[in-house]
Amino acid sequence: MTRCTRRAFGGWAGALCVACVPAFAAERRSAPRVVVVGGGAGGATVARYLAAAGIALNVTLIEPKKRYTTCFFSNLYLAGLRSFDSLTHGYERLGERYGIHVMHDRAAAIDPAAKTIRLISGANVPYDLLVVAPGIAFREGAIAGYNEAAAQIMPHAWMAGPQTQLLRRQLEAMPDGGVFVLAAPADPFRCPPGPYERASLVAAYFKQHKPRSKILILDAKDTFFEQDLFQDAWNRHYPGIIEWLPAQFIGTIEAVDVKTRSIRTTSQVFKADVANVIPPQMAASVAQQAGLADKTGWCPIDPVTFESTLQRGIHLVGDAIIAGDMPKSAFAANSQAKACAFAIAAALTGADSPRPFLFNTCFTVLAPDDAVSDAISFSNKGGKISIDQIVFSQLDDDAATRAQGMRESNGWYDAFTRDIFG
Amino acid sequence: MIGPRRMPWLPLIAGLVGLVAQPCAAASDSQGAQLAASCASCHRVDGRDRGIPPLVGMDESRILKSLWAYRSGERAGSIMRVVAAALSPEDILALAHYLAGQSPAPGQR
Repeated sequence: MTRCTRRAFGGWAGALCVACVPAFAAERRSAPRVVVVGGGAGGATVARYLAAAGIALNVTLIEPKKRYTTCFFSNLYLAGLRSFDSLTHGYERLGERYGIHVMHDRAAAIDPAAKTIRLISGANVPYDLLVVAPGIAFREGAIAGYNEAAAQIMPHAWMAGPQTQLLRRQLEAMPDGGVFVLAAPADPFRCPPGPYERASLVAAYFKQHKPRSKILILDAKDTFFEQDLFQDAWNRHYPGIIEWLPAQFIGTIEAVDVKTRSIRTTSQVFKADVANVIPPQMAASVAQQAGLADKTGWCPIDPVTFESTLQRGIHLVGDAIIAGDMPKSAFAANSQAKACAFAIAAALTGADSPRPFLFNTCFTVLAPDDAVSDAISFSNKGGKISIDQIVFSQLDDDAATRAQGMRESNGWYDAFTRDIFG
Repeated sequence: MIGPRRMPWLPLIAGLVGLVAQPCAAASDSQGAQLAASCASCHRVDGRDRGIPPLVGMDESRILKSLWAYRSGERAGSIMRVVAAALSPEDILALAHYLAGQSPAPGQR
């Protein structure tokens, strides 16, 4: 039978309610200071759910960007199926509705002993509790010649914003009959279906506007996520447009040459008209600096509380963490963020940590009227977040099911971005 | 018409309502609220969902029956089958009770 214990979440209704007034405003001055570093899908969700937890907290969110462009759905913008503006969200509601103090600054360094965060602007922010959701950085030198300057010629467009717009402009300027080369990294990386969705949607754009053009995917892997669904879609929607070259054919992706806009692998040099290089990744620099990442470059965490196993007292969520079987996706980050917020609130009120409900769904768009999804539930098995149940869209889905998938995808984006940004 | 043959789980649900919901309403509400947070990743909470059905404002027995139908496999829908499979009968009761108690908040965009 359920045991009645003191529970933390009398006020969780606030997180679901989109127009609530933050509770306990009067108590805030002396309340614990919770600082969240990073305002993406993980960080903004943690801040919002903590602010709505019904316990007195001072919640501060540190995020450099005033407006955040989502990586998820940015491939639809590349295809001309969505406006850039529709992918861009402000932080105003997190302040106005939830009383979160949003600081547009970048965390340069964390001092876990002093419990302070030094900002790029020079200010120091003290904290009682810290959640770090820093996202990813690219591994410098992993692909010779690929750096920030090279990314202005051969964009990665893997952190949405100006890079995404640059890639779109290049695709628009590319002559019909050109070659778009996409270099995809080895696992683990942000958004496992992302490179292949990008190839699909660039193909949709080519089919309509530049039908003689080709797409070449240079892959650092020999298999990829939902491969059968993608390859089936490529054959149906874009026959002869997309060619996928796995590592067993091309070897390692070794170097880029911006002057010739070419990519060199172990076996060959590929010249592009538009090149999209998605480099190998690791946890963002502030996580490395603070000693939150291990030798893999990613951050190990407790699978129930999402507390760092390397720096006790600091929690982590999102793409930067080692989350067992959970993919590096915005959905996973949002799910982890809620579990983390509940665990922190439970600890503050002396309740037992609740069992995390961890879930991921990737809505993947293959063509303007053809979207698929997967759904995975996870639980902690022996200290590792492991898959419980998994389902995928089926290869033999009819067209109506796939069109419904597209409507659901749009509905998801709408609900999901409200869940993150209020 | 929905007859008893199609809903063999009804006595079970009724039994669980008696067992769980009564003795510990507060814990069950907190459990419901945490589970409902997961719903908000896909379902809007102002009753104005597009492409995905709204949950807030739906009555308790309908939420309960839908979740159980997904869990038992009676109802198709790949994502919701995985969601429902991760829920215990107690979770489903707490979630349905909690969601039914929420009123749609005004939309703003």
